[in-house]
Amino acid sequence: MSLAVPRVRLLCGARFRTNLHSNTRTPNQWSRVGRQAMSIWALVLILTAILALGGVFVWLALQVSAVRGPKRSEQDTLDGAAQDVEHIFNEEFREELRNRGRLHFEKILGENAMFLQQDLRLTTSQLNEYMKGEISRELKEAFLSYQGAIADAKQLAVESIERTKTAIDEERQSLVGQLEKEVAEEKARRIKQFEERMSEVINHYVLEAIGNQIDLGDQLEYILAEMEAHKAEILEDVRHGT
Amino acid sequence: MELDSHAASVAGKQQPKLPVLVFGIVEVRRLKRELEALEDFMRQASIREPGKQPALPRLSRMLDALATDNGRNLLQDADRQELHGFVQGIEHSAPTIHISFASDPSSAFVAKLVTWLRGNLHPEMLLQIGLQPAIAAGCIVRTPNKVLDLSLRQNLIGQRPQLIAALDALAAETQVASPQPGAVA
Repeated sequence: MSLAVPRVRLLCGARFRTNLHSNTRTPNQWSRVGRQAMSIWALVLILTAILALGGVFVWLALQVSAVRGPKRSEQDTLDGAAQDVEHIFNEEFREELRNRGRLHFEKILGENAMFLQQDLRLTTSQLNEYMKGEISRELKEAFLSYQGAIADAKQLAVESIERTKTAIDEERQSLVGQLEKEVAEEKARRIKQFEERMSEVINHYVLEAIGNQIDLGDQLEYILAEMEAHKAEILEDVRHGT
Repeated sequence: MELDSHAASVAGKQQPKLPVLVFGIVEVRRLKRELEALEDFMRQASIREPGKQPALPRLSRMLDALATDNGRNLLQDADRQELHGFVQGIEHSAPTIHISFASDPSSAFVAKLVTWLRGNLHPEMLLQIGLQPAIAAGCIVRTPNKVLDLSLRQNLIGQRPQLIAALDALAAETQVASPQPGAVA
């Protein structure tokens, strides 16, 4: 049986490919036989590698134990570990850690404060927008209601003014008529009074004007004439009176 | 002496009459008191001793006029008694008329008025004079039962229509004389 040199290439763990040449068998048979032979060789190689690695590890352990000398006690180990810890995590390192933690905490606090501030601003702006919208809507509704009320009140006022105007016109007409009537009555009364007292007015005027200049001697004829005109009347009353 | 001359001139006795000077009841009463005083004087004189007679009292103008106008002798008892009775009768029964004037009348005016009253109304008419300055002219006569306003005021009242017509005419003349500014285009 002629076997072609298998070429195995290990790529990324467990991938390999073989090219087999066969003279008697079919290509498929030759391929199957090649793959079986390759699996056996790979298994042997892996086992060999594992054994080699185990031997190397044991050898190294022995060499290390030989270098360290006798074994220290467990307490010493703990103390050493503690010293190492103290040596590694000393006060400066801790202060550095605190500073870093403080800075980190401040950073987180600042970020959260910034986030909270942004959120608060956003909420405030949204709340403002909401309040503006609500207030605008309420104000519009109130204004509409007020406009309606004002229109109703205006209509009522106009009607009231019209009624008042009508009443005032009627009252004015009545008062004008009454006033004209009273004026006419007063005028007639004054004229009548003037006519009735005209003689007194003229008499008073005559008395004031020429009262001191009227002589009884000049009036004797007038008086005697008047008494002559009423002679019978006077005589009758004198006779009956006596 | 005067009384003696008047007594001698009287031929026949007639009804006495009041002189014009005696026009009111005040004067009549004064005349009566004067006659009574004269009667007392005469009675006192008759019982006095001779040669001690007091002087005859001075007579007033009214009593002198009464005796003179009626032809009576005041030295005579009968005449004095007659005049006293006459004056007393006048005091109680003479008609009285009251006349008011605007001012106090003069004696001459009163004499003329009393003469007219006694000549036309009653011979024994007495007059009472009042004063009403409110009447410009004329008089107001008041009899026992009536009041007659004969003043200028009453006369003007009686002429009211003429006064109104005169005022209307005067108003019309005033309007024609001073037309309204709006009437002149």
